[in-house]
Parts: sequence; structure tokens; C-alpha cells
Amino acid sequence: MKTGVLALQGSFYDHVQSLEFIDQDYVLIKDTSDLSHVNSLILPGGESTSMIKIQENNDLFSELKKLIESGIPTLGTCAGLILLAKDVIDGETSLGVLNTVVERNAYGRQNQSFEGLVNLLGNKEMYCFIRAPKILSYEDSVTPIATIDNEVVGVIENNIVGLSFHPELTNDKNYLDWLSNFIKDGVNVRSL
Amino acid sequence: MKIESTFKIKKGLAEMLKGGVIMDVVNAEQAVIAEKSGAVAVMALERIPADIRAEGGVARMSSVETIQEVIDSVSIPVMAKARIGHFVEAQMLESLGIDFIDESEVLTPADDKNHIYKHDIKTPFVNGATDIGEACRRIGEGAAMIRTKGEAGTGNVIEAVKHMRSMTDGINKIKTSDQNELMSLAKEIRAPFDVVKEIHELGKLPVVNFAAGGIATPADAALMMQLGCDGVFVGSGIFKSGDPKERAEAIVIATTNYNDPDKLIEVSKNLGEPMVGINIDDLDEAEKLAKRGW
Repeated sequence: MKTGVLALQGSFYDHVQSLEFIDQDYVLIKDTSDLSHVNSLILPGGESTSMIKIQENNDLFSELKKLIESGIPTLGTCAGLILLAKDVIDGETSLGVLNTVVERNAYGRQNQSFEGLVNLLGNKEMYCFIRAPKILSYEDSVTPIATIDNEVVGVIENNIVGLSFHPELTNDKNYLDWLSNFIKDGVNVRSL
Repeated sequence: MKIESTFKIKKGLAEMLKGGVIMDVVNAEQAVIAEKSGAVAVMALERIPADIRAEGGVARMSSVETIQEVIDSVSIPVMAKARIGHFVEAQMLESLGIDFIDESEVLTPADDKNHIYKHDIKTPFVNGATDIGEACRRIGEGAAMIRTKGEAGTGNVIEAVKHMRSMTDGINKIKTSDQNELMSLAKEIRAPFDVVKEIHELGKLPVVNFAAGGIATPADAALMMQLGCDGVFVGSGIFKSGDPKERAEAIVIATTNYNDPDKLIEVSKNLGEPMVGINIDDLDEAEKLAKRGW
């Protein structure tokens, strides 16, 4: 079985590199026909408006939504988090499978983008926030898994993880260990 | 702890633009069309390259009003051009909150010897290059993204292809050289040694490389992607064509599906007239923009 990496646009090759580090097979997803044999998913960083537009004529997102709702482990980073969120401020809701309210570009423009020390499941690491979305609120079914200065920047609900930042640009050992376990076991992996 | 505008953050935005199309726009209306068509970013300009070419005169940074209007109209990243070596235009673009500065040969150069020292400016830079040596020099100065120069405003892809192939050859040469040969190679291509060494170790450029200059059709965009670039800039090709919105959408879909001829056929139908192109041989040497840059 393979991890599907949404490959419409964005940092999908960086996620592919993470998967290569942990010896996980993958398939690039550009069309609904790429979805067979996928049992985990990664939605990369990039521009969510662009990704939504690119897939609109081939129904890819409605198929993706079904697949995510079937319970397979799904990770979204930055734009990927925006695609997953149920409510998007200053943007469009697309998959709407993660019970959070997210605001696009809420940390500011590129000049305000930063590397920040994130506590991800108990481990601290510098990660990149690039015109990052902010998690404004989330429902009780959602659990925070990452914080920066006490602000929540990553959450999990069922088997769905959304992160404001880009662990795929860092690929530190803790992240890769977590990713490896998450892809195999999903929700059972709540800590490192 | 938060650290703004590190080189990793500058490079990182370019990583997020990969596989996407960056479109030249001259006002808010065009910027909105570009965003709705799926552009990953827009380049705010006073005049598109084809008009700069036709009208002549000195081409400078866009007016503050144009840039502000474009920033206010879209939610995707906004880029703008500064003249080669004009570090004050760059400082102003930084203060305006632009997301990426293109130190561009399309504008009239402000310095005949030097490019901007880009490490000191918070905003990331993209620079044009015609070969690996030029790309290395720009990266050494702090560029966080490279694009081929091509020949802007011609609607003719031949120069972009030439520059992309030349870049790939250069990377392969560095990759396959023995490490004892790297200094001599760096001297030969007039490139900073540490950038050459980094390319040797990585086996590729340390920053994202887009194609630009002459891309006018979905097939042109797919061609550049198959030649190995990370994404495309489309300048005059969109808003100088018969139906800009249709063409913009088609080029976006083509850039994602560059390996799928059936999809390329589908999006290439009913696009209206492409921009009228210019044969490169018909240009005087002085009209060739790709020669600007040192």
C-alpha cells in the first residue's frame, strides 16, 4: 500500500523526500485515477487557491474527501491544513473534514514569515512558517499536538493531522519517526 | 523563539510556488483574473514586457499605486520588479510588503557592473540566468530563486529552452566533476566556489529554478516542465492573447499535467488567438534583454 501525495502544485517533492527517508512507497496524486491503492495521504504546502482551481474540473476533491472520511491517516501542512479545515477565513473551504477554523496568511506576508521553535508532541524543533495559516479555534473532538509560545499550530482529529508549518522542509528525526508511525497506525500514535 | 526572513524562509516560499504559474499583471483587474485562474503568484508591473519592447524608453520599478492596488486585490503572493543593481527600488519594495522581488533584465539596468547584494533585504529575490555561472553568481549575492531569462515579450520559447538546457548541462558538469576540479571549474564559469561546491554535493541547484521569457501556450509551459524546471512565469503570453482568462487557466492545468498529452490537448482547445510572436533573429542585438546581467 502507498501514501498518496497530492501533487497539483506546491512542496510535494519535499514530502516525497520525507517518505523516501522512511522507505515508504508513494504515489503522486493529480487525478482521481491515482487514488487506488492509497491507504494514507499527504496534502502539501503551496497555494490553496491554486490547488482548488486545478482540480475543479475533475472532481478530485470529492473523491479525496470520501477517502479521508473512510479513516485513512491524513497529514496536511500549511496549504494542506487550509484544504482540510471546516472553516476558512479569507479563503475557500474545500475538503472541510477537520473541525477547525483556520485563517489564511494570518501570520502576515512573506516579510513576517519566520522559523520558530515548535513543541511537536513533546519535542522541540525549529520549523518554517511561510505565509502560514493560523488555527483560530477547534471543536472538542480536536486535540492540539503542536504549539509555539502556547499558541496551537498543529491539531489531530480522528486520523487527520493539520499543521500550520512545514516539517517537510526540516525532516528532523523526531518528525520522520512520528510520520513513519502515523502512516502505519494513524490515530493510535499520539506521542513519539 | 521566532526568527524572521532567514535564507531557509526565503527559499521556502519559492518551494511553495513549485509546479505553479506566476503571471504578469498591470492592475487589480488582471491580478484578480490571474488569481481566479489558479496562478500561484502575480508579478505587478507598470507595463508587460511586450509593451516595454514596443514602446521603448527607460523601464523602471512600477508605481507605488500600481503595486499597492495589486497587493490589496489578491490573497496570493505578490512579486514586483526592481532594476538590476537598483538597491533603493528593492528597499522600497521591501517596505511596501512585496513577497518576492525580481531583479529583472526586463527593466532598464541601473548599474552596469553590479547586481544588488540581496542578503541584507528581508524580502526574497528571484533573478534571471542564462547559464549555470550566472545562476551561481546570483545565488552568491543572495537570490532565493532562479529563473531562466528566455527573451521576455517575444512569445517565442526558444531562448528559454536554450537557457534551461544550458543550466542543466552546467549542473551535470558540476555534479560529475571530481572534487579536485571544482575550483578550476568555478573559475572557468566565473562562479563563487561555495555555491559550486554546494551544487556538487546536492546534485542540483540549491534553490528553485523556474522558466521564464517567451512562454505563450500550454504546450510551451509543459515543454519547460519536461525540460526540468520547477514552475513557470508567464508574462505577455496571457494578457496579450485573445482570451486571457481561458489561456491563463489552460497554462495552469498544463503546468500540473505536463506529462499528459491528452490533458494538454483538452486544455488547448478553444483558446482563441495566442500573442503574436517575434522571431529572435529579427531582434537587433541591443533589443535582446537576456544580455543584461553581469
